[in-house]
Amino acid sequence: MAADPRSRDFLDPHALARLSAVPLFARRPMLGNVSGIHASPHRGASVEFAEYRKYVPGDDLRRLDWRAFGRSDRYYVKEFEADTNLRCCLVLDTSGSMEFGSTGVTKIEYARRLAGSLAYIAVQQGDAVGLACVAEKIVRTVPPKRTPSHLRGLYDVLEQARPKGGTRLVSRLHELAETIRQRALVVIISDLFVDPAGLKKAFEHLKFRKHDVAAFHLLDPLELGFRFQRPMRFLDMEGGPAIFAEPSDIADRYQKALQAYLEEMKAVTLASAVDYHRVSIDEDFEKVLLRFLAARARAGRRG
Amino acid sequence: MSFLQPWMLFALPLIALPVIIHLINQRRYRTIKWAAMMFLLTANRMSRGYARIRQWLILAARTLAIAGLLFAVSRPLASGWMRLAGGSVDTTIVIMDRSPSMRETGANGGASKLEMGRDQIVDSLKLLGSNRWLLIDGRDGDPVEVESPDALASLVSAEGVGASSDLPAMLQTAYEYVRDQRPSRTDVWICSDVRRHDWAPGSGRWQAVRDAFLALPQPVRFHLLAFPDVATANRSVRITDVRRAETSSGAELRLALRVEQAGGSDGKSTVPVQIEVDGARSEIPVEISGTTGEVKNHAIPLDGRTQGWGKVSIPADANAADNEFYFVYQKPAARKTLVVAEDPEAVRPLAIAAAVSPEPSTESAVETIGPDQIAGVAWEEISLVLWQAELPQGEAADRMRSFLSRSGKAIFFPPASPAGGEFAGLRWGNWRATELERPVTGWTRDQDLLAGTRGGSALPVGDLEIARHCELVGEQASLATLAGGAPLLCKPAVFADDAAADAMAAASNAYFCATTASPTDSSLARGGVVLYVMVQRALTAGAAGLETARRFDAGAAPAASTAEWQLLAGSEDAVPSEYPIRAGVYRHGAKLYAVNRGELEDRTATVGDAQVAGLFNRLAFDRVDGSAGGGSALLSEVWRLFLAAMVAALLIEAALCLPRKMVPAAGSAASFFPGTPVREAAA
Repeated sequence: MAADPRSRDFLDPHALARLSAVPLFARRPMLGNVSGIHASPHRGASVEFAEYRKYVPGDDLRRLDWRAFGRSDRYYVKEFEADTNLRCCLVLDTSGSMEFGSTGVTKIEYARRLAGSLAYIAVQQGDAVGLACVAEKIVRTVPPKRTPSHLRGLYDVLEQARPKGGTRLVSRLHELAETIRQRALVVIISDLFVDPAGLKKAFEHLKFRKHDVAAFHLLDPLELGFRFQRPMRFLDMEGGPAIFAEPSDIADRYQKALQAYLEEMKAVTLASAVDYHRVSIDEDFEKVLLRFLAARARAGRRG
Repeated sequence: MSFLQPWMLFALPLIALPVIIHLINQRRYRTIKWAAMMFLLTANRMSRGYARIRQWLILAARTLAIAGLLFAVSRPLASGWMRLAGGSVDTTIVIMDRSPSMRETGANGGASKLEMGRDQIVDSLKLLGSNRWLLIDGRDGDPVEVESPDALASLVSAEGVGASSDLPAMLQTAYEYVRDQRPSRTDVWICSDVRRHDWAPGSGRWQAVRDAFLALPQPVRFHLLAFPDVATANRSVRITDVRRAETSSGAELRLALRVEQAGGSDGKSTVPVQIEVDGARSEIPVEISGTTGEVKNHAIPLDGRTQGWGKVSIPADANAADNEFYFVYQKPAARKTLVVAEDPEAVRPLAIAAAVSPEPSTESAVETIGPDQIAGVAWEEISLVLWQAELPQGEAADRMRSFLSRSGKAIFFPPASPAGGEFAGLRWGNWRATELERPVTGWTRDQDLLAGTRGGSALPVGDLEIARHCELVGEQASLATLAGGAPLLCKPAVFADDAAADAMAAASNAYFCATTASPTDSSLARGGVVLYVMVQRALTAGAAGLETARRFDAGAAPAASTAEWQLLAGSEDAVPSEYPIRAGVYRHGAKLYAVNRGELEDRTATVGDAQVAGLFNRLAFDRVDGSAGGGSALLSEVWRLFLAAMVAALLIEAALCLPRKMVPAAGSAASFFPGTPVREAAA
């Protein structure tokens, strides 16, 4: 059943209006099915000159460059870049840990804002957008489409996504790497509480499939600071055993473990060429997205 | 363990407060749903043991801090070796050993043992407080009550006395006080150098006094401040004999003296001994070989005096109390014996025993009379009366009592037919035949007439053959006992509580021999040795009573005669009541008395620690060893120590509670935020 459009509180129209001014670029050539703003691995009919190629029989004679023939007495065909659209696949972690939030907003809510905004921006510039909600398995999928009406169904799925169960993100990423057609933009929105070594293999799998992988690593300020004033009983949101601890006793070791994890995650994403964004969920999502889009735009210009 | 504010210790359960707060805090936990469990699990696995130890250390530090505070405000007291003493006391009895050995100082001089002990005890008592303070220092029988510890200090002079201490007797005095006054709690402080002769650890009185204290319902604690160290370099001088002898040129004084060194010396050393006789001084060197140096028959010419005094002294050393020795001399008095007998022939052996002097130079005279001739006797010349007749009655008894009271000696032998007259509480009963050939079963071997010889040999009293003996009726103190319990030689038993001075004198100077020297009654005359020694000892003692110049060991002078003594030489600080126990020369009318420390005071043997502990077995007893010249306080408040412990515990707790050093900021988790994108490695 479709949700009431008026309840889509994860969308901020003003923010979307501001973000629409910045296009979403892919960092590597995409394979779309229509013309778009993204580079394609194939040659096309755009105004962007690509290269000269020797004429071979069968080539369209209209593409011969007679001026080049006049200069060199050889036949050359003038080729132009092809512009295409992209397929953006949003991977949303809906495991139980995404329900955590100490600042009035949970990770899943923050993830909805990021995903919803990205979907809107992509569709607005003619790109196809799909969605995969993953936890222990792939909970819901929405295949990529570029029509504005497609957004409605995608937003419904986003709104209905509920954090539940454990995380098997690595396996699900391997699965998605195989199922998503090549050369897509895969945006992972998760707290990434998995083994970085396993995640590295998943990222490399996606990279092997020529996907442009971006990751939003969502962390709560309380998880980062670990500041408690009294003994706590920590209940695992993904169904694991509870832990009773005096936070002041273990804070230092917690920080040490967290730091080691973040360092390793940084190393993994660098090695896997993942567009990695670590996000504290008390941060304004608009700024996060703006940073994401601007960085891609800069990378696109350099490319 | 004692404290000046012991009631504060009731708050000791508060030390459990940190544990209770910890437990309450543990129960005040909050439950939170947590996402980042992987870090918590990792943190829990890392150093779990250390965290637990740290937790316990923090709790222990907090507990110690509270305990330290409570102990500090309870004002604990520490004595030597950190043992704790003191507490709330009703009565404090101080037993001061003021014997000459207590005037010994340390190797480097300074305060004597007596001064150190006095000051340390006074300081301690000031801290402890008490409702009542009493001093027992052996001067007289009763404890002296003082107003404050300071008054105690002024009462115990640093000079000490010349008399030895009798610790069992002092403790008995303390016991009698506690028994009579029934204080709620009593502390007995003993300050002594635990010399063996002062403590007499072999005495049966210890058992009696210990049992008496154990039987008391109220608690009594004993604190011994002991000074067992002996100054090995200390020397003492002593006159062993002084005689005035007539010479062709007039008269001379013949001295025999002995110098002893406590620790001995490897080789020979010479000590200058200064001799002062009637104000004229001379000095002689005395060579010490080993521990002793002796001079015998050192002659000093006299200018015709028949009586005088003098002293010998050696240079100052560790103990000033044994560096001087006083003596008096006089022309020897004749040793005159009066034999009173119904039948003069029957007492001939007695007369012979009295007439033969052990020293040729000493004259001995014997006069034999009948009982009816008593009235004409010149009693002032008599040293010994040998009485073998009906016991004196009426005027004769009065004369005899007067004679005995001026230290004359009398030995009574049974008459042939006792008529029942009584003297000194005793009267002769019937003659009894003795069944055994040698019936003497026991006798007093260490003192009085039948004591052993100087060489330690016992008199052959057991070899005496007694054919018959006369019964004695009345309270008596037996010196020799026959089989069946009848006395052979005894003294009248007079109880000190109700006895008049004359009766006391009679009890100490009169002897009753239950048989005679007649061959039909005993072998006293045939064997001769026992009779001769017995008579000569009584004669010597009786003659000493007649001498106008006498030498006493401190504390041994007859109490009745000391009230009118005048000081000729000795400590100017001494009060008249202390003359009999302070070394010096005193005049009483025409008589001269020299008072010196007892011979045992020159012996340095001490009672061992274990033996001292054994003497106080089962009593609340603690001991602190002090040292002469040492300056440490016996008892001091140690609340600062506990306060310091509390501060230390708080510092430790603070250090343990400090958050552990975090990862440097550059690499911290927070430094990753706000996040900047990680650029593609390839780019």
